[in-house]
Amino acid sequence: MGFVSTIMGFCGFGFGVSFGLTIGYYLFIYFQPCDVKDPVIRPLVERDTKSLQQLLSEIPLWVKCPDYDRVDWLNKFIEYMWPYLDKAICRTAKDIAAPIIAEQIPKYKIDSVEFETLTLGSLPPTFQGMKVYVTDEKELIMEPSVKWAGNPNVTVAVKAFGLKATVQVVDLQVFAAPRITLKPLVPSFPCFATIFVSLMEKPHVDFGLKLLGADLMSIPGLYRFVQETIKDQVANMYLWPKTLEVQILDPSKAMKKPVGILHVKILRAMKLRKKDIMGASDPYVKVKLTESKLPSKKTKVKHKNLNPEWDEEFNMVVKDPESQALELSVYDWEQIGKHDRMGMNVIPLKDLTPDESKTLTLDLLKNMDSNDAQNDKDRGQIMVELTYKPFKEDDLPKEFEESDAHKVPEGTPAGGGLLMITVHEAQDVEGKHHTNPYVRLIFKGEERKTKQVKKNRDPRWEEDFTFVLEEAPVNDRLHMEVVSTSTRIGLLHPKEVLGYVDINLSDVVSNRRINEKYHLIDSKNGRLQVELQWQPAS
Amino acid sequence: MGLIFGILMGMIVGVGLMAAWKHMTSYRSNKRISKAIEVKLMGSLNRDDLKKMCGDNYPEWISFPVYEQVKWLNKQLGKLWPFVAEAAEAIIKESVEPLLEDYRPPGITSLKFSKLSLGTVSPKIEGIRVQKLKKDQITMDIDLRWGGDPNIVLGVEAAMVASVPIQLKDLQVFTVVRVIFQLAEEIPCISAVVVALLSEPKPKIDYTLKAVGGSLTALPGISDMIDDTVNSIVTDMVEWPHRIVVPIGGVPVDTSDLELKPQGKLLVTVVRANSLKNSEMVGKSDPYVVVYIRPLFKLKTKTIDNNLNPVWDQTFELIAEEKETQSLILEVFDKDVGQDKRMGVTKLPLNELVAETPKEIELRLLPKLDMLKVKDKKDRGTITVKVLYHEFNKEEQLAALEAEKKIIEERKRLKTEGVIGSTMDALDGVSSLVGSGVGMVGTGLGAGVGLVGTGLGAGAGIVGSGLGAVGSGLSKAGKFMGRTFTGQSSHSRKKSGSSAPVNFVQENGGAKPL
Repeated sequence: MGFVSTIMGFCGFGFGVSFGLTIGYYLFIYFQPCDVKDPVIRPLVERDTKSLQQLLSEIPLWVKCPDYDRVDWLNKFIEYMWPYLDKAICRTAKDIAAPIIAEQIPKYKIDSVEFETLTLGSLPPTFQGMKVYVTDEKELIMEPSVKWAGNPNVTVAVKAFGLKATVQVVDLQVFAAPRITLKPLVPSFPCFATIFVSLMEKPHVDFGLKLLGADLMSIPGLYRFVQETIKDQVANMYLWPKTLEVQILDPSKAMKKPVGILHVKILRAMKLRKKDIMGASDPYVKVKLTESKLPSKKTKVKHKNLNPEWDEEFNMVVKDPESQALELSVYDWEQIGKHDRMGMNVIPLKDLTPDESKTLTLDLLKNMDSNDAQNDKDRGQIMVELTYKPFKEDDLPKEFEESDAHKVPEGTPAGGGLLMITVHEAQDVEGKHHTNPYVRLIFKGEERKTKQVKKNRDPRWEEDFTFVLEEAPVNDRLHMEVVSTSTRIGLLHPKEVLGYVDINLSDVVSNRRINEKYHLIDSKNGRLQVELQWQPAS
Repeated sequence: MGLIFGILMGMIVGVGLMAAWKHMTSYRSNKRISKAIEVKLMGSLNRDDLKKMCGDNYPEWISFPVYEQVKWLNKQLGKLWPFVAEAAEAIIKESVEPLLEDYRPPGITSLKFSKLSLGTVSPKIEGIRVQKLKKDQITMDIDLRWGGDPNIVLGVEAAMVASVPIQLKDLQVFTVVRVIFQLAEEIPCISAVVVALLSEPKPKIDYTLKAVGGSLTALPGISDMIDDTVNSIVTDMVEWPHRIVVPIGGVPVDTSDLELKPQGKLLVTVVRANSLKNSEMVGKSDPYVVVYIRPLFKLKTKTIDNNLNPVWDQTFELIAEEKETQSLILEVFDKDVGQDKRMGVTKLPLNELVAETPKEIELRLLPKLDMLKVKDKKDRGTITVKVLYHEFNKEEQLAALEAEKKIIEERKRLKTEGVIGSTMDALDGVSSLVGSGVGMVGTGLGAGVGLVGTGLGAGAGIVGSGLGAVGSGLSKAGKFMGRTFTGQSSHSRKKSGSSAPVNFVQENGGAKPL
């Protein structure tokens, strides 16, 4: 009897539990509203001291650490933009999801899957501080502290076999400390080629996941497990030094690397109009590529000749054959005074067929303005031969593999190698009488110089020097000094050393690459940024 | 018995479990919501909040200026500057050169950059302020300061004088840039960006001009000319209410609401001037008045010879784009051989006017509009004007917009035909064109314009070439001579323009006089 009763009791318990759960479900969960309300936010000033104490743990970084900057303007901006962003993102998400869902559901015999609600809520992400690092490399590093504690409401309804189930995600919270690195910096907008994003610590993730209205995440233990899994997964992918890479510009295009060579042969000119009052003109030709910073090249001067023959060849580096053009101008040489231009013309490079020589005879014009009446005058003609040779794909120097780009020359004995020195810039160099600085490098008795920058306390040179060495310069030193010379022919202070530095090269050999700002000796605050690279032969 | 007890117990446990779950859910949900509120609050702390939270330990490095400081952005900008400068140089050269061409003063035949490098000093952002002034728009004010070391060399070609390279040195720009983002509900959520310089505080652009390998005295007046050109470009292109509208994103959007549109017209009758200060050695001045709201659309009265109390009684119609910030400018000149001398200038803010109410005002003439650096307190006389401001309705506005477009196109055409040397030169030429062309429609207008244009061109051409012959003969006789002829040729061109029958008053409505 007792035995049967116990069995019955257990059966009844089992039955009762399921029954009770159902009642409880309908009682407590099913009839509860599952929409998300906008939270009521009371201003801080109204709060009492006790609740303020609780808030202290959330105090933003810019309050605590002076090296973080406040970015309330950015927060405001995002806040104003948030309603629009919300709608845009949700619409895009729906549009992207729709075809994928349509493709997938027939496999699982599901009638339909659709978003019942999809909104990111009224609370935008906030930046709780921004920190930047300044390094000597060509990169920008930013570390914002991002907190998004939002009230999104994503409800997905799945219909199958006449039944409907809903999955709802609410109260998503993501706190992260990403590091955003923009590099390399390039001289065309937006001025960087790639964005690298990585997380400095594991992100905090919290949310409510309601299945049929019941929050799975509040089952004890489950939440912790899910959270840890997500953290680990994200950390596996993006925790520093792992990064997410987003390419913005094609670096080779952005850097404006040379893509070909233009061979120009100036043959002759015919029937030039004379400029000089006495006798014939003394013509020479200036050749230049537009958008190029290189100085123009000149032919020899043919004295007293209006039908000169030059037969001179030039090679010019082409960076963009689509937009660049060759500019030819014939000048009249003068012993004294300004050289007069006798005429000019321009040949766009896109008119040329690659690897094909073309001989052109061009009318000389006063200027390139087609409406100028003065162009109707006959100024003679010029004959040139042009060949544009684009580099083959494999001729192109590889990007960002600088060690590959600078090959150690053949025949360097083992143990030897290539020492590359890049003089970047100097800061706060100051001469007593003049500051027209250039850098003099002395290495093993060999002397090299950079160009001179006129009247500048913070000059930029960006010049490369290479030395081929027979053995690693472990015991050698590099002497660099910043020198200023007077631009005037002043006899009083012709030359002045603004500061110098001796660099031990053993560090360079062991590190392969060092990029540092060295404090200059004999200078008040002067610093010199030098990049040193060692490329061993073997 | 056992069964019933079991069921009962089971039900209690089941309901209890559900209740506990529910409790847990709401507990966690409340916790998350309160956290969300905290984060939200912390995202917009102000001084009082912080004072309350930190008490005596209030960190001293924190301040809350109106324009929020952005040290980090400046650090980044400094690092990025060499690259930005290089990228910007090409763009500036491309976009500013046509502007220089449009605004170049008469007397200079060509104005181009021969060298442009932005230097090594990056601009500093003093602060940023974000506001929401209108629905669907975010307004960002950036307080920008740039005391740079750019190396800008302008190639200036004046008529009869060889190209003079002029260097702009010690450039200093202090201004507040207003950027308005027009929001949209499509990614990237910004459909257009409007950029302008705030007119209050007034943008300060300082620089010194230096002729390379020579001195500016070789070309007197040229530094004033360049100053004027820079000034009118800045005030007429980018200073609020004028703005640059940049559409963003692939979505085609209607940006016409953002563009500056004619808002009303101002009927100005220049009645007379009283007791002008004589600026001529012999006899009295020959005054005429130039009237404008935007420097691109200038109008002038006839010249009255030898009179210091001239009565013009001429009526003009001007278009106003933003009544709140624009002003009517009246400049009195003395017609002279060579460059006309300015006898005085005055301005009348449109904001003081009441729409549809005629008003007669007497204005005091000043030596310069910007009185900050001017010491001169001499009395220069007054000018009396009658003004009537009329606000456009929708149709009138559209008509005015159309007319304005047409006029600018015509000017461009005339310019390419070489009739007028510069858009600014068009003072008389185009106004006469409008006067004659207004009655005609479509091609008729074109023909009429063509006639007037060529007639004018021929007239000017004859005078010009006559002078040219003399000038070329004497071109090596010295720069001074060259300059004199420069002045005269532009002067005579003006004369030929004003001799054409010009009817300034537009009864037809809509067509905008210049």
